[in-house]
Amino acid sequence: MKRLVLARRERPTRGGQPVAFLFGLVFALIGGALLLTISGDPVFDTYERMWDRSFGSFDTISATFNRAVPLALVGLAVSIAATMGLWNIGAEGQILFGATAATFVGRLFPDLPGPILIIAMLLAAALGGALWAFGPGLARAEIGVSEIITTLMLNEVALRLIIYLQTTKWKDPDGFGFPQITARPEQAKLGTIWERAHLGVLVALAVIAAFAWFMNRSVWGYELKIAGSSPKTATYAGISMRRKVIGVMALSGAVAGFAGGIELSGSAVRLSENISNGFGFAGIIVAALALMRPSGVAVVALAFSALQVGGLSIQTLGVSSAVSTILQALILFGAIGAAVLSTYQIRLIERKVTA
Amino acid sequence: MNQAAVELDGIWKRFPGVIANAGASLTVRPGTVHAVLGENGAGKTTLMNCLAGVYLPDDGTIRIDGQEVRFSSPADALAAGIGMVHQEFRLVPTFTVAENVVLGSAPSILDMAAINDAVAALAERFGFDADPERPVWQLSMGERQRVEILKALWRDARVLILDEPTAVLTPQEAVELGAVLRQMVEEGRAVVFISHKLDEVTAFCDEATVLRGGSTVASSIAIADVDSGQLAELMVGSSSAANPGPPHVGVPGDVLLDVCKLTVTDSRGLIAVDSLSLEVRSGEIVGIAGVAGNGQRSLTDAIAGLETVDSGSVTINGSDVTTAGIRERVNSGLAYIPEDRLGVGLAPKLPVTHNAVMRSYRTMRQGPMLSWDRAKAFSQNLIERFGVKVGRVDDPLASLSGGNLQRLLLGRELSGNPSVVVAAQPTRGLDVAGVGAIQNLLVSQCDEGTAVLMISEDLDELIALADRILVMSRGRIVGQFDPRQASRAEIGEAMIGAHS
Repeated sequence: MKRLVLARRERPTRGGQPVAFLFGLVFALIGGALLLTISGDPVFDTYERMWDRSFGSFDTISATFNRAVPLALVGLAVSIAATMGLWNIGAEGQILFGATAATFVGRLFPDLPGPILIIAMLLAAALGGALWAFGPGLARAEIGVSEIITTLMLNEVALRLIIYLQTTKWKDPDGFGFPQITARPEQAKLGTIWERAHLGVLVALAVIAAFAWFMNRSVWGYELKIAGSSPKTATYAGISMRRKVIGVMALSGAVAGFAGGIELSGSAVRLSENISNGFGFAGIIVAALALMRPSGVAVVALAFSALQVGGLSIQTLGVSSAVSTILQALILFGAIGAAVLSTYQIRLIERKVTA
Repeated sequence: MNQAAVELDGIWKRFPGVIANAGASLTVRPGTVHAVLGENGAGKTTLMNCLAGVYLPDDGTIRIDGQEVRFSSPADALAAGIGMVHQEFRLVPTFTVAENVVLGSAPSILDMAAINDAVAALAERFGFDADPERPVWQLSMGERQRVEILKALWRDARVLILDEPTAVLTPQEAVELGAVLRQMVEEGRAVVFISHKLDEVTAFCDEATVLRGGSTVASSIAIADVDSGQLAELMVGSSSAANPGPPHVGVPGDVLLDVCKLTVTDSRGLIAVDSLSLEVRSGEIVGIAGVAGNGQRSLTDAIAGLETVDSGSVTINGSDVTTAGIRERVNSGLAYIPEDRLGVGLAPKLPVTHNAVMRSYRTMRQGPMLSWDRAKAFSQNLIERFGVKVGRVDDPLASLSGGNLQRLLLGRELSGNPSVVVAAQPTRGLDVAGVGAIQNLLVSQCDEGTAVLMISEDLDELIALADRILVMSRGRIVGQFDPRQASRAEIGEAMIGAHS
C-alpha cells in the first residue's frame, strides 16, 4: 500500500521562493483563463491590460512603485513583530493613527518649510504608530493578553477617531459642509523622483535596509534573535522577554505608523478613514509571502502592488470586480501553495505493516 | 501462552553524537506486566519509541506475535495493537474524557450519548472512576493518565507501554494504577512498565528487563526470584565494573556556594525543594545523586535564578543572591550548565558565534552596536581552547554533535573564570569521548579553586569525580556519602528511598 505524505525538506530548495512565485503565477494564469472564459471575458485582453497598467510603461511602473511603499513598510512591520512570534494585525489602525499624529503636527505648524515639516510629520507618524502598538505589547508582556485581539480591536478605535475628527474638531471649513478634514499643508508633499514615483520609494527601501542592518549588527538585534528563537535560553542569558515583547511591538507599530505618514505626504492630500486602504491587511500577506524576512518584503510588495493595480484596472474593461478579486486571490493562492512546496515535498512512501 | 507478544531483537538507534540503543532486546509474554528498568539515559524510552512506531530503529527486528513488523508511524503500531502512554500526555484539554478517548478513531457519524456510554462501560470494566463528560482540563494528572490508558484500550491495544507512569501520580494513585494493570493482564494483554523506581517494579510487575548504556544487561528475570538489591545492582552496574580511574581528591577551601534552608515550589504548585541546605567549597566537587524528579532541576534553577525561591537563601562567593537577577548572579561568579542544553543553555537555530558570546556580548558593545569582530575572535578562541569541532563559526549550531554542543556550552560558561559551577547532568547522553572530555574540564576547573556542584544520575560518574556525594530525595538531602568509602549499594538504597 502506498500513500502520499508531505515531508519537510532537509533545507528549503535553493532559490525556492522566486521559483515558487513563478509557479504560483503560471497556476493562477491558467486558472484565471478558465475563470475569464466562464465569465465570458476576453482572456488575452484582460491579461494584457493587467500587465499594461502595472508594468506597461514608465508611468504605470512608477505608480506601481508608489503603491508598493505602504505594502512594503507594513510587511516589514509585521515581520518585525514575527521575530518574537507576535502577530501585529493592527497595522491598519497604526497607519491611521500615525497619519492622524502627522496631521496634528501639520495643523500645529502649518508654516514650517516643507522638508522640516515633512520630517516632523513623519516622526510624529512613527511615534503615533508606536504608541498604538505599545498598549497591546504591554498587555501581552505583563498579563498575557493576545496581541492579535488587541491590535485588531484598536483598528476600529483609530478609524472611529478619524471619523469623529472629520465631523467635529478638524472639519474642513471649506468643505461645503461635506465631512472631510482640512487638507494637509501643501508644502508637506513628498517630492517626486521619477515619473510619478515619490520620494517615499527611496525612504521605504532605506528603512528596510536600516532595519536589516540594525538587526544583524546591534546588541538589540542579537538579543532579539535569541529571544525570538529560544525564549527560555534568552531568560537564561539574562535577557528580559518582557522588554523585548514591548519593544518589538512598539517598533512594529512605529514602522506601520510611518507608512501612514508616507501615505499622507505621498499619495493623499488629507487625512481620511480611507488612507490605510487595506494596506494594513495586505501587508500581512506580503510579510507571509516574504517568509517574514525583511529582505524579501520589498520584492514581494512590488509584485503584490502590481497585482492590485492590474487587478483594479481590468474593471475598466468591463470585467466584474468579483472576477478581478478572484483572479488576485488565485495568484496569491498559487504563490502561497508553491511556497509551501519549497519547504516541503510530496513523497510517495511505501507502507509496510504486517500484523 | 508461549508465543511472545512482543520481541525486540538487536535494536540499534543512533542520534547525532549519542547512541541511545546498542543492540537492545526485550521479550514480553502476554498476560504479564513487564518492567523495563534502567537509569536515565539507559535507552528505555528510545527502545519503547521504536516499538511504538515513533522512531524507526537503525537496525534490529521487531516481532509482534511472532510476525516481523516495520512501523513507519505510531498509527501503524497502534493498528498492530501497540499502545503507548507517553510521559507528557497527548490530550486535548478542552475536550471531554470521551471525546479524547475516541479522538481519531470515532465513527464518522457521532452519537455522543452512545459514545459516552461506551466509554463509561470501558472505564467500568477496568475499575476506573471516570466521568466521560468531564473536560480534561479539570482532571488531575492521575486522572489524565487514566484517559490516556482508556484511549489505548478503546483501540483495543494488546500491548500497552507506560513510560514512567508513576512520576506524575500520588502514592495512592500509583496503587490504583497497579490494580488496573493487573486487570488488563488478566484479559491476556501485556503491559510494558518503564520505571526506575524499584519498589513499584517489585510491587506491580511479573518480569523485568534491565537496560544499561543502551544494551540489555538482564532479560526477562522473574521478579519473584530477585530482591530489589539485586535489581539495583543490575541497574547501576555491578561493583566489579571497570573502574573509571582513581577518584578525584580536592583540596577544599572557602565556602563559595552556600544554600541555606532553600524551599522552592515548582510550576505545578508542589514543593520541589524542601528546606534544603548545602555548601560547596573552593576546590571541591559536590555530587548530588538521586532519582530524576526529586527536585534536582528546581534546585539548580533556583541557584541560577531561573526559578523563584519561597524561602531560604542562596549565597554565591559571599554575596546574597537569593532575589538577584540572572545577570547579577553571573557577575558574582556563577556558571550554570542547565540540564536541558538545547532548550535552555543554547539557541540551536542561531550560529555558533551567537551562542558562544551569550555570556560576554555585553562587554563587546560599541554604543548600540555589537562588535562582531570581537565576537568572532572570542568564539574562535573558545572553539580552539575547548576543542569544539565545528566547520566555521557562522555555521548554525544544529550542525554540531551532542558532545561538541556540550563542550561549547561548558567552554562558554567556564571562560568567564567562575567561582561556582553548577552542572546539571553535564554528561548525560554523550558518547564515551564526550563524557571524558566534559569530566576532565570540570575536574581541572575545580582544581583551579572553583566550587563545583554536579547533579548526575550516573552513580559511577559521581563516585569517580565527587569529593562528597549528597543524595536527594523528595526535595531534601537524605544522606551524605564519602565516595571513597561508601558502597554503591548504600548510595543506591538511599536514592530509592529505602530508608524513608
